[in-house]
Amino acid sequence: MNCDEAQELITALVDQELRDPERGSLEVHITECARCRLAREEEQALKQAIRKAGQGILAPDGLRDSILSSPSIFPEEGRSARGWRDYIWPMAPMLRAALAIALLLALALPMFYLFKPTSEPIAFAALQTYDLFLRGELPLRRAENAKEIEAQLSSAVGGRFHPMGYDLSTMNLRPVAGLIREIQGRKILIAIYEGPGGSLFCYTFLGSEKDVPANAAKFFDADKKMNFYAFSRGGMNAVFHREGEVICILVSAMPMEKLVALAEAKAKPS
Amino acid sequence: MLHLDHLYRVAFHLAKDQSEAQDLVQETFARSLAAYDQFKVGTNMKAWLTKILHNFFFDRYHQRNRWISEDDPIDQKSAYGKRLAAENPGPESHVLFRELNTQITGALRKIPEEFRTAIVLVDMSDFSYEEAAEILSCPIGTIRSRLSRGRRLLHQHLKDYLGVKKDRGSR
Repeated sequence: MNCDEAQELITALVDQELRDPERGSLEVHITECARCRLAREEEQALKQAIRKAGQGILAPDGLRDSILSSPSIFPEEGRSARGWRDYIWPMAPMLRAALAIALLLALALPMFYLFKPTSEPIAFAALQTYDLFLRGELPLRRAENAKEIEAQLSSAVGGRFHPMGYDLSTMNLRPVAGLIREIQGRKILIAIYEGPGGSLFCYTFLGSEKDVPANAAKFFDADKKMNFYAFSRGGMNAVFHREGEVICILVSAMPMEKLVALAEAKAKPS
Repeated sequence: MLHLDHLYRVAFHLAKDQSEAQDLVQETFARSLAAYDQFKVGTNMKAWLTKILHNFFFDRYHQRNRWISEDDPIDQKSAYGKRLAAENPGPESHVLFRELNTQITGALRKIPEEFRTAIVLVDMSDFSYEEAAEILSCPIGTIRSRLSRGRRLLHQHLKDYLGVKKDRGSR
């Protein structure tokens, strides 16, 4: 082992994250190398100094109150809770933490059941269709260009609504085919993108946020004032959003952060 | 409130701004409440909350303008850094840092975000490599590499304050 090879291992050693045989090899090297011994001492000292510096940073006093009084976090109940909050605050930290969790649960559960969607077959059908595509089991008729796909999909619904389509060329994806499905009497338009950047399905249909799966994570884009819902299954990710009465679901195997970003970037507030 | 100081600390170092950090923490609590049914009882809530915070930070600063930043991420980061530097010329007034602490906080601001985040998670927040990798959605080896490079950069910025006997940058 030379000093260059030892460099990253010293970091792991200082963090107690190094195991044999690397640990044994490094310890032998450090015994023989004064420079790496010094490097280890310096890195340990730096780690301790960083840790101490971190301990000096505490949440401002007002932050706790502003969270508890935030309508977006604790609607109504949270704001009227000031009386008992004053009462519990002097309690032990562990008890306060337990009460905070209990409060979160008490508020979250009713909201969860109140807003629990009643219908979700389309969202999961979207994932199933994409899964068929990934396995090469989805018959497709390739289109010449994006206009042909848009015309094909729009005509399938008599122009009542139009398929959402995006320019994804910067992601090395281009529209290659259109597909129409019908689920519970609702027509689903699917624009299929493919390229060196992977693949992506864009589903468009008429619906509401009741079509969001129950386990989807909700994100609110404050700039666009829109909700986005993310859900996954079997390595496939999906992001749902609504523009008026038109629903769009993007489905892809790309990382969820990337897919959410794409949906947020392309979505237009209704 | 559970993990409030920890979340603020991480947010403060990610955003490099006190007001932004408070917004990040508030949004983290809002999102965690909305997604509470996804939290698995018995798993690490501190790590779960931190992942939500980091994802939101990532969304806000990197993904909002993805199509712009994807083409030229360095320029975007640089512009963001310049804005922060202009808005935050001095140490935060709400905490009286000792000299070394001030220097460390200042040095952390100067190193790339990916290195800074790994250091904040492992050195300040006591997360294991495995937990940090889960929070940042990257391999464990990446965490080790970022920590090593990040600490070397920090060391170069702080060598006058740490009583360094020899410049490790020449290793």
